[in-house]
Amino acid sequence: MTSELQFDITQRPDFALLTVQLQKGQKIFAEPSAMASMSNGIRLKAGFKGGWKKTLGRALGGESLIINTFTAEKAGEVTFAPGCPGDTVHYQLDMSTLYLQRGAFMVHSEGVELSGKWGGAKGFFSGKGLVLLKASGTGDLFFNSYGALIEMNVEDEYIVDTGYVVAFEESLDYDVTTVPGMSTGGKIKSFFFGGEGLVVRFRGEGRIWIQSRAVNPFLNWVFPFRPVQKQS
Amino acid sequence: MNFKIDCRPAAAVLNLSLDPGETITCEVGAMIAMTAGITVETTSHKRGKGGLLKGLKRMFAGENFFLNHFTARHDNQTLMLGPQLMGDIVHHDLDGTLIVQGSSWLASDEGVELDASFQGLGKAIFSGESVFWLKCSGRGDLFLSSFGAIYEVDVDGEFTVDTGHIVAFEDTLDFRIGKASRSLIGSFLGGEGLVCKFSGTGKLYCQSHNPPSFGQMLGPKLRAR
Amino acid sequence: MEAEIRNRPAFANIRVTLKQGDRLIAESGAMASMSSTVEMSTRFNGGFFSGVLRRVFGGESLFINEFTTRSSGEIVLTQPTPGDIECIELKGNTLYLQPGAFIACDPTVSLGMGWAGFASFIGGEGLFRLKVSGQGRVWFGAYGGIFAREIEGEYVVDSGHLIAYEPSIHLRAGMAGGIFSSFFGGEGLVTRVTGPGRIYMQSRSIEGLAAWTNAHLW
Repeated sequence: MTSELQFDITQRPDFALLTVQLQKGQKIFAEPSAMASMSNGIRLKAGFKGGWKKTLGRALGGESLIINTFTAEKAGEVTFAPGCPGDTVHYQLDMSTLYLQRGAFMVHSEGVELSGKWGGAKGFFSGKGLVLLKASGTGDLFFNSYGALIEMNVEDEYIVDTGYVVAFEESLDYDVTTVPGMSTGGKIKSFFFGGEGLVVRFRGEGRIWIQSRAVNPFLNWVFPFRPVQKQS
Repeated sequence: MNFKIDCRPAAAVLNLSLDPGETITCEVGAMIAMTAGITVETTSHKRGKGGLLKGLKRMFAGENFFLNHFTARHDNQTLMLGPQLMGDIVHHDLDGTLIVQGSSWLASDEGVELDASFQGLGKAIFSGESVFWLKCSGRGDLFLSSFGAIYEVDVDGEFTVDTGHIVAFEDTLDFRIGKASRSLIGSFLGGEGLVCKFSGTGKLYCQSHNPPSFGQMLGPKLRAR
Repeated sequence: MEAEIRNRPAFANIRVTLKQGDRLIAESGAMASMSSTVEMSTRFNGGFFSGVLRRVFGGESLFINEFTTRSSGEIVLTQPTPGDIECIELKGNTLYLQPGAFIACDPTVSLGMGWAGFASFIGGEGLFRLKVSGQGRVWFGAYGGIFAREIEGEYVVDSGHLIAYEPSIHLRAGMAGGIFSSFFGGEGLVTRVTGPGRIYMQSRSIEGLAAWTNAHLW
């Protein structure tokens, strides 16, 4: 099934910008603050899409409770970009499901349902674990990466650090664990020192999307530049 | 060790193929993905040396220097590594000594000795952040990362680089920290801070962008620590 | 004076080849590396008092650097953020730039700091803008990719994404939607631009990066 949505992704692969051309009456749904620019005839409305149950699910999924609806009162364009540098990709859902990590979702068309799925991460110490959104239905989905977006086919088993998982197909089994081949002493040290505390082990057959940069190493780098809290 | 650098020049990753028994060392946090037949050992600073305390000091100073050593235990093992910042990765065939800016060292094999106590360049005070330098010596594969595009300069004579733009340089080069312009006021107010004037003959790796400049622009907009 | 923009669009930087008699004006802090034959001197950018105001409000430094050489030499110029760099040749026309976007220009270009108006400030685009006019080349950069739009009528730009615009463009601050939608929807205040004229935008914003970073800090 091909997309009915007219769109273009430019400035790839490092500062990708999604431009959607909306016909009069067409709607598109986006993550808050993703809009970079838009034509005059496009109306923005923030709301709780899908009712309270879905909203709570989205809260657990780590995405904010709010979904922005952009409706074209007159035909026009909307451009979207995430906060981080990286790529944006279009994924066509056709009565199918895709799992996305928190922060990767940016835009979807009508016909797509988003809900939260707690990925069963072990422990909160790493700060993130694996927090997933489930996108299903029939329609267009646009998701982002921090850094490059690398698509891979898993055929048997593959291990990915949780910070680098962007999306994966439903056909795969996955579990969140500490690095399997790590010695115990190493596990404890790594856990506390911001290293590969948690990984996702994918098993089976299916596609995964990983990103070439992650937020935790970036937070470590940016730490000394943050303002110091004044002691009063 | 077979390697391939993909997603250049701005979001580069290092793809390695390891034979059974082969080990690669990188900083903790650099692993993106791997096959299941690899074991990992974490040490601080260097295997057997340095100790936990030195590493802890570095961690609270905002610099992690814990190392992960990945060893393949089976055939057909692959490992994907990536640095902290957007930018490039380059391979250097080490045979001698290369002085590497601390956060630009990505990975090296067992033939490369790492010494993080190199003080030759002191601290780049004016750029507001202290930088540590890693002395890499021996023979083996060394992988460097950059913030920005990497460009190589074969210095033969003299060359000036803003200190935040240095990725690595051969120790055959002499260097002198100085001011960019003739007057100290001009230099400091001119925003260039300290520059490094290299002389002699040797290879210099530079990066097109300056991490402290970027950090200082973004920092004030962030939540306090 | 030969200049080449390299490593576009993600980490664009400018390599300039200078010969005796050439002069290059650049934003302070833009120099990454240079041959030892190139000399740098620092001077005030315009009048002292307006310079002080700029420093306090505009975020642009008081000083700019001038590069010359007695023989020949090379210099690499860069910007603090990753992203693209664009070169525009002015032929008597004027362009307004976000102060932080300016990197370098030919000495024949006039630089002046102007008041951008409260609309610009409220819309998140700052109190000041840099006016470049005259003859010659201007290099400006972005955080992210640079894209342009020819505006007829009105267009909405999210704060932090506007980097340059022609003088015929009028700015007005506004909200992205209704009050609830604007703030809950994370878009907040926007800049409404009215044409006719051309605007240049960047595909990322430092505010957006800061918000993304802050969302992960605890």
